[in-house]
Amino acid sequence: MWNGKLNFWYFITFTISLIVAIPILTVFSSFFEDTSQYFEILKKTFFLEYIFNSLILLIGVLFLTFILGVGSAYIVSFYQFPGANFFKWALILSFAVPPYIYAYSLFAFFENYGTAFTILKYFFGDGNYNKQIPKFDGMFGLILSISFSLYAYVYILARSSFLYQSQNLIELGKNLGFSKFKSFYSIILPSARPAIVAGLSLVAMETLAEFGAVDFFSVNTLTTGIYNAWITFDDLAFANRISFFLLLFIFILFLTENLSRKKAKYHLETKGGFKKKEKIKLCGWKSFFAFIFCFTLFFLSFLFPLSQMLYWTIKFPENLIDLQIIDLLLNTLYLVSLSSLFLVFFALISNYGNRVSNKKILNVLSTLSISGYAIPGVILAIAFITFIAWFDENILNTLGFLSIKKIFIGSVLGLVVVYFVRFYSLAFNGIKSGYEKINIAVDESAYLLGYSKSKTFLNIHIPYLRNSLLFVVILISLEIIRELPITLILRPFNFETFATTAYISASEDLLEAAAVPSLCLIVIASFFILLTSNYILRDRDE
Amino acid sequence: MSKNFLEIKNVSFKAGGKIKVRNVSLNIENKGDIICLLGPSGVGKTTILRTIAGLEKIQSGTIKLKGKILSSAKNHIEPENRNISLSFQENSLFPHYTVEKNIYLGVEAKKINGKKRINPKKIIKLLNIEKILSKYPHQISAGEAQRTALARSLVTQPDLLLLDEPLSNVDQSFKEEIQVQLKKLLNDLKITTIVVTHDSYEAFYLGNKCGLILEEKLKQFDDPYNVYHFPNSIEVVNFLNRGILIPAKVTGENSLENEDLGIIKGNFIKHYPKGSKVQLLLQPEDLEHDDKSNLKLEVIDRKFRGTNFIYTLKTPSNKLIPVFVHSHHIHQHEVDEKFGIKRPINIDHIVCF
Repeated sequence: MWNGKLNFWYFITFTISLIVAIPILTVFSSFFEDTSQYFEILKKTFFLEYIFNSLILLIGVLFLTFILGVGSAYIVSFYQFPGANFFKWALILSFAVPPYIYAYSLFAFFENYGTAFTILKYFFGDGNYNKQIPKFDGMFGLILSISFSLYAYVYILARSSFLYQSQNLIELGKNLGFSKFKSFYSIILPSARPAIVAGLSLVAMETLAEFGAVDFFSVNTLTTGIYNAWITFDDLAFANRISFFLLLFIFILFLTENLSRKKAKYHLETKGGFKKKEKIKLCGWKSFFAFIFCFTLFFLSFLFPLSQMLYWTIKFPENLIDLQIIDLLLNTLYLVSLSSLFLVFFALISNYGNRVSNKKILNVLSTLSISGYAIPGVILAIAFITFIAWFDENILNTLGFLSIKKIFIGSVLGLVVVYFVRFYSLAFNGIKSGYEKINIAVDESAYLLGYSKSKTFLNIHIPYLRNSLLFVVILISLEIIRELPITLILRPFNFETFATTAYISASEDLLEAAAVPSLCLIVIASFFILLTSNYILRDRDE
Repeated sequence: MSKNFLEIKNVSFKAGGKIKVRNVSLNIENKGDIICLLGPSGVGKTTILRTIAGLEKIQSGTIKLKGKILSSAKNHIEPENRNISLSFQENSLFPHYTVEKNIYLGVEAKKINGKKRINPKKIIKLLNIEKILSKYPHQISAGEAQRTALARSLVTQPDLLLLDEPLSNVDQSFKEEIQVQLKKLLNDLKITTIVVTHDSYEAFYLGNKCGLILEEKLKQFDDPYNVYHFPNSIEVVNFLNRGILIPAKVTGENSLENEDLGIIKGNFIKHYPKGSKVQLLLQPEDLEHDDKSNLKLEVIDRKFRGTNFIYTLKTPSNKLIPVFVHSHHIHQHEVDEKFGIKRPINIDHIVCF
């Protein structure tokens, strides 16, 4: 009886793993295909620049996110000062501003005759301020944009690690006569190291996957190289070959992240003896410094881009009227609801299958199925097109079946499939963490009370997982709203979202027109973040 | 049809791919009997319960309940179709339901027809959980969670109730009271029960019979009195830890001799030829204190147990012997003092190996 059911779980999990594996396999197989002569030209010209720029970008962003993320997490976790409770959740609002929107704001504020110029003119009258205003573009602007948008990954994980740190450990430092700096350097930081590395790895993966901001600042990285190979040279094999190198980069990061996450889990599993830390109350200039640090970070990462977009929306109200906000909202909601439905349904089935069958091979397959999150959207989208084209020509055409290109390329269905691959790990892990809180003895008790497996699933699991499911749906919604390259490449004709509209306006040098969709995106994303902030920032007792 | 209520025949119990207890045969003859399984941690007691409940499968032998095969190499009735209830040692409460809902789910889940219904309120009162009914599992203590799980199992009125260390987290002060009430209730409702425990006193009190699981085997399955007084192996003696083995030589039909204690008289429960060298089981109750005796041993330790003292005495050949003395005995002996043993030594039943 059990074996029959097992086949079903294997089938579902295997199918999901296969779908996720398609882009990876496509990229790897394309590596051995012939490309046009552009690849040879590229190798001699820009290829080293792509790698060099990607590395510089990575190092710059990791350095800045480490300082911002760990610094803010430390101050908020260990000290009490005016606004500490507000900053605790306000600092994650930076997630609502994708790097490309931050880039638009940064550029617009400091450009010649931009917002900074207008402010100076307002206060000091006419003058040639353009020479004095610094320019944040190119690589430096890119590093700033990505760092202010992504530092929250490090902040959230470091903060949760700081919260779980044993008070005894910190008291031991005091007992040994350590100064505050030495306690931080010798005890607190090493204990939180796995969590910080995990946060930095996520930042690194997102940085290498970033497309919108990189494209806006015209910095040649591997991601833009892939996009240009496809758009400019119309050479999919060429795009896949560059993808191969980027995937290697990411594979190394993925391994690092996984290894550190395992350590982080080990680190967090401290049962019993947990003493809630008494926060140190700061007074005088120390309190002022803590407030200023957090406020500046909050201002620069969230208020600044929000204000810039709001300023332009008010200054150019005609853009508000021209934009079909309702259509964009409906398109976004359509994508969000359809993708969430598929993702939650399959992630739930797969998690349940893992639970009732408790087989190692299913766990291995599940781990494979969540690897999509590590693959940049550009690669996923192009690999998907490559695969569909190959399948269409080599399999369906040969067998005399109708083409499926139109069903999957430039359609909502294709978009949903690639979103599925990209965000399946969010859905799977979100539900998995909910399931991990239900002791297996709970299931067994239900069976012994006479509940069948399906009744246990419906009456015990689903009500308990309600919050996890809601959290997963909101998280997926947030990601899809912000997502740019997949939507840009695979969307149907005339089907726009806030993200694509902002990108298209910005790429046409109409930054003012990008303000309204960007503002809408920030507002909606902030709303979703606030809905989940309690869940994301939950303390041990909650 | 078998006349036994529960019949376990030649079953090896397996968990995580590893055999925990081999080739067990055990019967519960009558409905309403309570049996207790004793043994050290990790020996496989819980695995036995899980297998009987249907949560683990068997590769050989049979498990029958009321003559119907529940488990065999070919058949396996799913847990939900067995009408067997298992109260887990760990917290198995539904985390999103209150204590009250957890208990009443048991009643709702099983339609109880044609039986004398248990009043859940009576169980709730008996287990002293009235005050926590509106709380959620994460808001109650481990002992309260255990009592709630016990209540949920009881209200389902199962054919067979399996209790895994049911009172291990319950406060000592409250434990004995619950034991008394629980036994009364199980007897009144005639619920056949298997209790797993590591507490030999709990097992001796609750069980009509006790089974000792040691070294992957069911070593002894007998009345509590017999298990205590007539252990059938050195392993059982060591596990119960209620006496020591000293070397002796059989000197006659009713006597033997130890080099430190001299002649010991009593009734052998098993015949040994004269001159045999044996290991004699000496339990704390076997020796009597007598200050006037010329057999004096050195006091090494004294444990106060409320109603009695257990003195540990050292013999000239360096054996440590436990001796029971009522705590009302006025003359207490300190460590290093001499302690007299009444002679001649008479033991009601002599157990040797």
